[in-house]
Formats: sequence, structure tokens, C-alpha cells
Amino acid sequence: MFHKRTWLFALLIITALLLAACPAAQPAAQTGGESAAEAPAQEAAAPAQEGAGEATAEVDWENVDPSGQTVTFWYQHTQEREEALQQIIADFNETNEWGITVVGEYQGGYGDIFNKMLNVLNTSEAPNLVVAYQNQAATYQLANGLIDMNPLVNSPKWGLSEEEQADFFPGFFNSDIFPSFGNQRLGFPPNRSMEVMYYNLDWLQELGFDGPPQTPEEFKEAACRAVEQPFSKGVGDAPSMGYQLSVDASRFASWTFAFGGDIFDYENNRFTYDSEAAQAAMTFLQGLFNEGCATLVAEQYGDQTDFGNGRLLFTVGSSSGLPFYRSVVDEGAQFNWSVGPLPHTTPDPVMNIYGASVSIPRTTHEQELAAWLFVKYYTSPEVQATWAKASNYFPVRQSVAESMADYFEAEPAYKAAFDLLPYGVSEPPVPGYDFVRDMIEQKMAAIMDGADVAATLAEANEEANAILAEQMEGLQQ
Amino acid sequence: MAALSATEIRARRRRRIDWREQLTGYLFIFPAFFLVAFFGIFPIGYAFYMSLRRWRVVDRGFVGLANYEKAIGDWMGGLLFVVGLLLIIGAYYVWVLAFESQNNRGLAGKATVALILLGSGVFINLGWSRMMAAGDPAFLESLPITLYYAVGSVPVQLAIALVLAYILFQKIRGQEFFRMIFFLPYITPVIATALVFRTIFSPRPTSLANRFLEIVGIEAQRWLFEPKPVLQLIFGDTLLGWKLQGFWAGPSLALVSIILFGIWTYVGYNTVIFLAGLGNIPSTLYEAAEIDGANQWQLFRYITVPLLSPVTFYLSLVGFIGTFKAFNHIYVLQVPSAQNTVQTTSVAIFNTFFKASQFGYATAEAMLLFAIILFLTFVQTKIFGERVFYG
Repeated sequence: MFHKRTWLFALLIITALLLAACPAAQPAAQTGGESAAEAPAQEAAAPAQEGAGEATAEVDWENVDPSGQTVTFWYQHTQEREEALQQIIADFNETNEWGITVVGEYQGGYGDIFNKMLNVLNTSEAPNLVVAYQNQAATYQLANGLIDMNPLVNSPKWGLSEEEQADFFPGFFNSDIFPSFGNQRLGFPPNRSMEVMYYNLDWLQELGFDGPPQTPEEFKEAACRAVEQPFSKGVGDAPSMGYQLSVDASRFASWTFAFGGDIFDYENNRFTYDSEAAQAAMTFLQGLFNEGCATLVAEQYGDQTDFGNGRLLFTVGSSSGLPFYRSVVDEGAQFNWSVGPLPHTTPDPVMNIYGASVSIPRTTHEQELAAWLFVKYYTSPEVQATWAKASNYFPVRQSVAESMADYFEAEPAYKAAFDLLPYGVSEPPVPGYDFVRDMIEQKMAAIMDGADVAATLAEANEEANAILAEQMEGLQQ
Repeated sequence: MAALSATEIRARRRRRIDWREQLTGYLFIFPAFFLVAFFGIFPIGYAFYMSLRRWRVVDRGFVGLANYEKAIGDWMGGLLFVVGLLLIIGAYYVWVLAFESQNNRGLAGKATVALILLGSGVFINLGWSRMMAAGDPAFLESLPITLYYAVGSVPVQLAIALVLAYILFQKIRGQEFFRMIFFLPYITPVIATALVFRTIFSPRPTSLANRFLEIVGIEAQRWLFEPKPVLQLIFGDTLLGWKLQGFWAGPSLALVSIILFGIWTYVGYNTVIFLAGLGNIPSTLYEAAEIDGANQWQLFRYITVPLLSPVTFYLSLVGFIGTFKAFNHIYVLQVPSAQNTVQTTSVAIFNTFFKASQFGYATAEAMLLFAIILFLTFVQTKIFGERVFYG
């Protein structure tokens, strides 16, 4: 099909492009790149509170009547969790004094719900209650699509008393307050998870340790020793590993928290991915890779499998994975294991807690109030105990512990994690965080590949703040 | 009023019948036209409308070409780049003319072509540098990655498919069975197969791909996790004194792994289309050539390949358009460790739309991609379409 001259022509094109590419490309791109990256980061410095006030006109909630309302609730839960939630909904529908009917609807995963919500925000198609991560709620609020729940939470007639509010774990309770939206409450937490360190206790003892490491130095020592000295009960042909890191923005945050820092400056509304703590954390992790004591998680949940087979000493992941870890250990090398805080340089552990909350989209005031009354029921201590046991999430109220004694006894690892809840902090509830997460994961991977920590994090921070600035620009308009 | 002549009456009647026939025709095509207009043309028009607006979750007003400017950064850079591309097309036609010329002007023409191409290289490079300096790096960097993906996938797919089709076209046992086997990857849900490929091309030393490398004496690779360009992995940082960097260092190994997946998926489809094309070649041509003493290679080279050129052209056209729009398997196979080296334009647009919620800007990116696909299709049609042999 091709004539000889076509090939010659193609060859000539490549040669010409190569010759032309020689002098100009590199310096021009570098110079421009720097200056281009600098500008948006400066814009990001401006705090965003100014634009936040417009959201809600005062509503006289005390005189709103929720009687007879129907509330549509979009959630992502499936299987046992969905069954438990449907039972909670049925109980509420049966017992609430206002005759409110909640209709729970599975609407796909978090991403599906988010995409659907963007299409129905501020329309009559919008649900009355929706599961949303904080950054998703922030995105909805860019369109003024949610109500500020503060007046309802604090309402003398419909809200929670001071005592009830104090019963919530502070980290959980505050995680839906959005500084970038004038401290509005755009969600309310019905459950939470936490990043914890999973460790193989039997292997640690074989390596000469009494218990899990408390400091990064101890962690490193144990991880490196595990590479040299495989676990006696290990199964499978995977090499012996100390730590497997899943490149993930939440892991970045967790390690930064453990090194005494944060990834966000809430006063100035800026990311702080280049903070000293973040640099120290990433340098520490890079060191583990350089010395062959850590590897990357190669396949989805590959760290769980390796941990269960007794090939991996430590891994860090969500506490909601506890049942899966139990299952892989039972089917694998069958050893004693538990969870604990990430090794930390701070006096007390600082734990990364996360999880989707429920938000109330703007509909009628009657429906909004009815939705809140269901949320209040959903987060009451008795219902929380049922929900926590069925879902394996953490309850959001401290008093629930009393009614979970049997569960704690049956699930000691869950109890170990539960005891860490008072030390919880959250990742920033800002719009565009999904985009930032993707970017930071790539930077994190580059660091583990040997990139310069300080320079990479400085670049990451500029990019993150540029993304934030773009998002907040929409709010300020 | 004067009476109408018979001719006029006939003419009027014919016009009325013509008009009725036209109307009937329009009525028949209306449903299809409505569907195409509503589901095909309208979304494109609406996307263009969105691309001219500041649309972040909600519409915040008209911004003109600001979204386009944000993507390409610098209008002059974009213009220089396009001029560079047009110069290549111009050079091609001068080149064709020069080859057709038998006198000294031919040599002069070839020299001119060389100069034009050098100029186009300068334009393209200058334009690109300007765009990269001021534009959106995520969008701009995704373009060469998409180009790598397309160029790495389509020709290889076609070559393998052609060979497979030729073999399957011979009288071999189990022909139907092999056809089905080769077609299976195309009809298997891409998410499922991509997840299997993730395991096959895992960086573990025990992964299937690394086991294979071990057998042939090559050390284990990181495959989907490897952001380094393949040429750097093979030759190191320099090749024949030429520093391998940027575009010229080639695609990352991670992208090559994804290209392999693309090839695996579409080879079967192409094979089946080629088989249909092979069935249309008259057997008398082969018989005549055999009587003239042609061997198997000559039959393939001088009869099969030229007479299949319409099919090859169609598949390459559809293949290039498809690779420029490819999304699902790339999205599934990408991992953070590949560090942006597998982010094709479709994935970049998706991220802008769904993760950054910048709807207006994402549609502007999509319109630019649309323009690029349109341009490439035009070039393919003009340059390669002319070489198609329709018998």
C-alpha cells in the first residue's frame, strides 16, 4: 500500500522534527513552566470566606412543620449494610411522631451518586438526603445546593442539646464544618473509619519486639528486620516484606499527621503539602524504600493478601477493612494480629479519620426538616450501636461504647481501633480535593521512586493550591 | 386566463409528483434525522456552547474563548503549531510532484521539501514550546501521550490482524473456532479484562509478564508502574550520542503495557473485518498469478495487500479515531506510580469534568480533541485515501 516515497517522506519528517527540536524545546518549557506555576499559587493564598455568606437566608425552623413529609435518601451501601440501613429506616418510619416516611434508595457508589447529584442539584429531582464526602459536599455548595445544618443542629426544638453534642467524638462532629464556606455545616456524620496500622504480632515477637512500634525508628527497624527474617508461619512464594505502601492521598495525610503536621492550613485556607512534617514523613518513607524495607502495593488489596499469608509485617489502611483482614489471616497463615496507631513523633497519636457524611440538599423547608429529624434518629446512641455492629464502621458517639461491650469482646482489633478515636483528625473538606488527591498520589509515587522530597512537595503544594484557588474562584463569584 | 398547453400541464403534474416524492422521502428520513440531530448533533452543539462559558457545577456566564486559551495557553503558539502541521501536508504534495517529475525540477522539488519540513519542524517546536509555557500542562502533555497510544496501537493491530486473517483464510481445520477465539477479547467486558491485565503486568517478580521475561533471560520490569520511557529502559540515557529525553524518549513502559492491552483487544475485531475483505477478492486473480509462477509471498504482497487496502484504510481510520477517544481500559489500568505518563486526553478531560468539576473548561478540551481528530481524519483521508486501490 505504501510507496517507497511515502516511507522516505516519513523519515524526512522525523529527521526534520528532530533537528528542529534540538535547540529550543527544553529551556523554553522550563522557564515558562516555573512562572506559570507560581502565579496561581499566589492567588490561592487569599482566604475564601468572603464569598461564603450568601448561602442561606434565615429560616424560622421552630415554626416549620415536618408532618407527613416523604424523604428520599440516596446512599451507596449494599448487602448487609443496606439491609441494616433499611431496617433503621423502617423503624424510623414506624415510630416517628410526625408521620415522616423515609425512602432509602441505593444509587450506586460514591462516584455515581456524585455524578447524579451534579445533574439534579437545585431541581425537584434532587433527593432530600444524600451520602457525600466532604469534598463532594463542598462541590455541591459551589452551586449553593445544600443547606447549612447548623441552625437545625442547634435548634432548641429540633436540634441536639449541648450534652448530646458533646457526646459526639469531636473529630467526627467537626469534620463537616467548612471553613471555606463561612463555617457552614454541610453534612452530618453517621459513621466514620480510621487509618490504622495492621501488624503481625507473632512475627514481631519472632523479630524480638514485645509489641507494635511506637516511633518511626522502631517501625523501620522492625520492617527492615522482617525482610531478612521471614515469618516462620508464612505461606506462598511472595518475598518477605516489612511494609507495603499504597500510594494514596489519605496515606500521605496519615503519615504527615503522625509526624506532627497537617496537609492544610485552615486559617489561611491553603494546602501545606510542603510543610516540615510532610517532608519528614516522605523522607522517612523514601528511606524505607531506599533500604529495601518497603515496597509498593502492586495489586488492588495485594497488601491484604500478603499480610494474610504472613509475608508482610505492616500495612496501613482503613479500619473498615478489619473483617477482610480477619478473613485473609484465617484463610492464610493464621497468626495473632491487631491494629494500632501509625508510629508517630508526637506525644499522642494523631489518627486520620474519614468517611462520608449525609448532606441535606435544598428542597422545601418541611422536607429539609424532616430529613434532619431522620439524621438525628440515625445518629442516636441506640441506632448507632446497631449500625456500627452491622456495618463495622465506627459509631460517632462516645456513649455507644457502653452498648458495644459484646462486640468489642468478639472483635478485639475493632476495640483497639475504637480506643484511638479521640485522637482523630480529618483531611480538608475543600472542593476539588479529588483532583488534588490524584496529583499528590503521583508526587508520592515519584518520591518513592527517588525524586527529591523538598522539590517535589513544593511543586505539589503549588499545584494543589492552584487547584484550590480555581475552585474557590467559583465560590467567590 | 389563457388555457395551459398540454406540455405545461404535464410539467406541472411532474413537479407536483416530484414535490410529493421529495416530501415522502423527507418523511422517511425524518425519524433517523431526528435521532441523529437530537442525540448526535445537539450534544456537540451544546458542548460547544458550554465550552464558551464559565461552567463550574453551575453556569456562571459567557467567557468567550477563555477556556480554549487556558488549554493551549498561547494563541500565537497554537497558530505556529498548526502552520507547522499544514507545512507538512504542503511538503507532502510538493514531494509527490517532485517524484512525478523526471527532470531537474524534481531534484529541486525534493530539496524544497526538505527545507519546508525543516521549517515545519521549527514552527511545530516553537509553537509547542510557547503553548507549554503558558497552557495547561495536564491537557497539553496528554496529547503526545495520546499520539503514542494511537501510533503504537493501530499499525501493530492492523499488521497482526492482517497476518491472522490471511492464515485463517487458508483451508485450515477449526477455522470457526479460531475466529471465535480471536474475537473473544473484543466482546469480553473491557473492565474485566483490564483488571486481569493489571495482574498480568503487575510489578511483582512473580507476575505472569515477569515470569515470561525470566524465561527469556530479561530482568523483571515494573510494567504498569514504570514511568520511564521504554527507549531509556532499553538503551539508557543516550542513544548514538543523542540524549534520550522528552517526546523522543518514547512512551513509558506503563503506556506500552496499556498499548499491548489495546492491541490484544482489537486484533480479533480487525481480523474478522479483514476476513470479510479477503472473501471479496476474486479467486481467479490468485489462480492467474499462480499460473504465472507467483509464490505465496508474492500473492500476499501484490494481490492480497492492495485489494485489501479499502478495508485497511477503513480500519486504520476507525482505529485512529477510536484510540484518540479511548478511555475505559486506560482509566482502569492507570496507577499513580505511572506518574501522568498514561494520561491520555480522554482521561485528562474526564478528570477535569468529574474531579475538578470544571464543566466549561472540560468541554473546551473535548472540543479541541474533536478538532484534532477531525484534522487527523482529514489528513488520513487525503493522503492515505488516495492510495487505496478499489480494484
